[in-house]
Amino acid sequence: MKNPLIKRLPRELKGEIGKYIVLFLFITMMIGIVSGFLVAAGSMSVAYDESFEKYNIESGNFELLQKADDDAIKKIEDGEEKIKVYENFYLDKETKEVDSTIRLFKNRKDIDKICIMDGELPSADDEIAIDRMYADNNKLKVGDSLTVGGKKLKITGLVALSDYSALYSNPSDMMFDALKFGVAIVTDTLFDDYGEADLHYSYSWKYDKTPADDEEAQDMAEKVMKHINGISMLTQFIPEYSNQAIHFTGDDIKGDNTMITVFLYLVMVIIAFVFAITTGNTIAKEANVIGTLRASGYTKGELVRHYLATPMIVVLVSAIVGNILGYTCFKEFAVKAYYGSYSLPTYKTIWNADAFIKTTVVPLIILFVINLVMLVNKLSLSPLKFLRRDLKKRQKKKAFKLNTRIGILKRFRLRVIFQNIPNYITVFVGILFANVIIFFGLGMKPMLLHYQDIIEDNMISKYQYVLKMPAETKTEGVEKYCSGSLKTVDDKLKEETATIYGVKENSKFVHADIKDGGAFISDGYAQKYNIEVGDEVTLKESYGDKKYNFKVEGIYDDPATIAVYLTDSDFIKTFELEDGYFNGYFSNTKIKDIDDLYIATTITKDDLTKTSRQLILSMGSMISMFATAGVIMFMLIVYLLSKVIIEKNSQSISMTKILGYNNREINSLYITTTTIVVIASMLLTVPIVNVTLKYIFKVAFAQYSGWMPYYVPAKIFVEVPLLGIVSYAVIAFILTRRVKKVPLDEALKNVE
Amino acid sequence: MNVFLEIKNIKKHFGEGESRVEVLKGIDIEIEKGEFCVLLGPSGSGKSTLLNIIGGIDAADEGYISINGEKTADMNEKALTLYRRKHLGYIFQMYNLIPNLNIKENIEVGAYLSDNPLDVDDLLKTLGLYEHRHKLPNQLSGGQQQRTAIGRAIVKNPDILLCDEPTGALDYNTSKEILQLIEDVNKKYGNTIIMVTHNDAIKQMADRVVKLRDGMIRKNYLNETKLTAEELDW
Repeated sequence: MKNPLIKRLPRELKGEIGKYIVLFLFITMMIGIVSGFLVAAGSMSVAYDESFEKYNIESGNFELLQKADDDAIKKIEDGEEKIKVYENFYLDKETKEVDSTIRLFKNRKDIDKICIMDGELPSADDEIAIDRMYADNNKLKVGDSLTVGGKKLKITGLVALSDYSALYSNPSDMMFDALKFGVAIVTDTLFDDYGEADLHYSYSWKYDKTPADDEEAQDMAEKVMKHINGISMLTQFIPEYSNQAIHFTGDDIKGDNTMITVFLYLVMVIIAFVFAITTGNTIAKEANVIGTLRASGYTKGELVRHYLATPMIVVLVSAIVGNILGYTCFKEFAVKAYYGSYSLPTYKTIWNADAFIKTTVVPLIILFVINLVMLVNKLSLSPLKFLRRDLKKRQKKKAFKLNTRIGILKRFRLRVIFQNIPNYITVFVGILFANVIIFFGLGMKPMLLHYQDIIEDNMISKYQYVLKMPAETKTEGVEKYCSGSLKTVDDKLKEETATIYGVKENSKFVHADIKDGGAFISDGYAQKYNIEVGDEVTLKESYGDKKYNFKVEGIYDDPATIAVYLTDSDFIKTFELEDGYFNGYFSNTKIKDIDDLYIATTITKDDLTKTSRQLILSMGSMISMFATAGVIMFMLIVYLLSKVIIEKNSQSISMTKILGYNNREINSLYITTTTIVVIASMLLTVPIVNVTLKYIFKVAFAQYSGWMPYYVPAKIFVEVPLLGIVSYAVIAFILTRRVKKVPLDEALKNVE
Repeated sequence: MNVFLEIKNIKKHFGEGESRVEVLKGIDIEIEKGEFCVLLGPSGSGKSTLLNIIGGIDAADEGYISINGEKTADMNEKALTLYRRKHLGYIFQMYNLIPNLNIKENIEVGAYLSDNPLDVDDLLKTLGLYEHRHKLPNQLSGGQQQRTAIGRAIVKNPDILLCDEPTGALDYNTSKEILQLIEDVNKKYGNTIIMVTHNDAIKQMADRVVKLRDGMIRKNYLNETKLTAEELDW
């Protein structure tokens, strides 16, 4: 015979249909979104991993100051590590129709091959195939015209370049820029027509023998670098494993995968506690029935299984529906988000066992374990205790003493709080977690905008020119400076580029009292690496082993960069350069009298704000989604748990009604307590969330090059609790209706 | 005498120190199979505690309960559950029916526990509940609900039926109906019945009457002038 208690399950679901529908929808949405994300990320990840072989992605690339002749190439190829070198020259050109820089390549036939996403490769000298994502972000399509470096070209195709899945224009950038930087393919003739002014002598190489792992790849790359350095003058050397344009996409997809999975697990833990508390309330309500069943011979296990069934069924069905939605609807959101950020090749949806385990098996295990522990604990009482409705494990010897000078209504409220401490702890934790999400949702954009502002405010000059070789200008108000780059040396954080400036004493642009023999470091450097005045920083050569130590004499107010500031004479001394050496200008006006041939880079506001711009672009839709999810979660948790409090006290509420209390007075006893706890939780959690997010940001951004300071505008500290209070007002309204509905005869039920 | 249920030197106390109360001070009763035993006594006499100890839902400080030679004192929680499952049926003053199961399903909850349960439909007819079998408990009167509770207890055909004030919440006529039903069950299925009650009149329908006061047996005798439930009056 099947256990007849099974028949209760559909009725139980029907009996509390509102609660279960809300939970079902919330869990389904969460699992659906996460499943969609994981399926998309998994499928993209496979396409990305396969692209290394499919498109023959380079083992690395290097740039030389001048074109290497055949002999030099032969020598480079015949080093200790045997490599094959391919020309992969490029030109960086400004575009007219959109405010951007586009990097032009000739068609690559052997290395870093191209994936044609739409249209075709250019065949005529007035045609161009541009990166698909750059086209999307700038609303360009096949057939449109784009003026590149003064030449009007017709877009014939949209492509993905396998070595530019993340559009990093510079390997030391904190973030790629898919809006103002793109890559493109033109015919060989057109490429040559552009001349040599902006030409970069970039070469890609491929090892004869593929390195087994990153460690071996690093050893091999170092040998190659030293070998090339002995033959020609390197201006850039990027092994594949450290090329963000190639690797950032894969790392980010995997990182997203972990982040969103942890997010789901945390949500599930909270939901499991919500189920545990509401089931605990059901057990309390059905204590006499449980006592009778246990007295009749039902085992604890049978009852545990019975009470576990409903939450498990709800989560199982949610997981199944969520996964179906994940594979169908939600996947597209994630795909859109990835295609909006990365220039990925075409992908195929692949069944993802890992996503299924993470979104179905693990949530069920979380729910099962938390509820099992609660049920075993609750149902371990003797049948007699259930029959007597005596559900306390330990009998309280005395009632908790409260000062009698406190008014009776206040004491009553305090007793309600003490009676419901587990519910209120869960409410607190739930609000804490929901606030993290809301805070992130509301605070991310202002933080990125603030980052843009501080960059603008702290820009040394409107135009910062880096020269290939010294060149003079007659432009007024300019100031010469020296610059170079070194690599950071840190055990915990990954190696990154630090810019070393040599500026004039009493510089008009760098407002710091830098003296010979002492260095200033940027605020960003100090914050990221926890450096203080008086410390010594060690940096090493980008393409060598030589180390440099700088004694920090001051912090320069530039929170967004990793930089060291020396006097120009110290710079020259440190790097053993000729007296009078300089390689750049600070200027607030555009320098027009220096030939482009001499200019390596011009740094403007747009270059410095690309990180925030890209993050706003990539995360824009997700940011609002986070805030909405946080509010829904907040309302769900607070509503379900405060409803439990009303249900648990329905007999007392009924009795107070019989005694003559009116609804307003009863609300002040039972709903005001929840209101106090919710408001207190809102106010207490905001600073905790702020500190937590600050820490999370510090850890998260430590993985990136550069630095983004944590910032939350003051209004967020008001908006988040206000949003919570407004949401709670809706809940409180529903709760007052529930209190009103408690019948007078409730007090007479089940009283033995 | 063929002893089926042996209650031997049962002692039980509640509380400690100054608030310690000796509820049972050494109870000895022997009951035959199929016997209808009524435990009488004022509030606090220990009759419900004794019933709970017999039912294995409370433990004695001393002494033992033995059913067909099986002592409950030697049993762990799992064995006690099995003991209740195999041998006992419980009826309480409050019916404790499962509110979202209908009448038939509430009885099936009891049938599920037995390898050899009575036919549920037959039992529903015996209980006069067949027409109400699809109704939920809150759609029935108190008497009908208590009949359902009796049905749930006896459907597994237990050796012993423990009744704790089964008519305590019912009016005179309904109480008599319930007592008649318990009498019928006793006759039809031969279950041993132990009933705790305040109602002195009920002793007249019992085979054995045990009167308790202050945790001790004041009287324990076989009723020679047994009446039917129909004949009872109070």
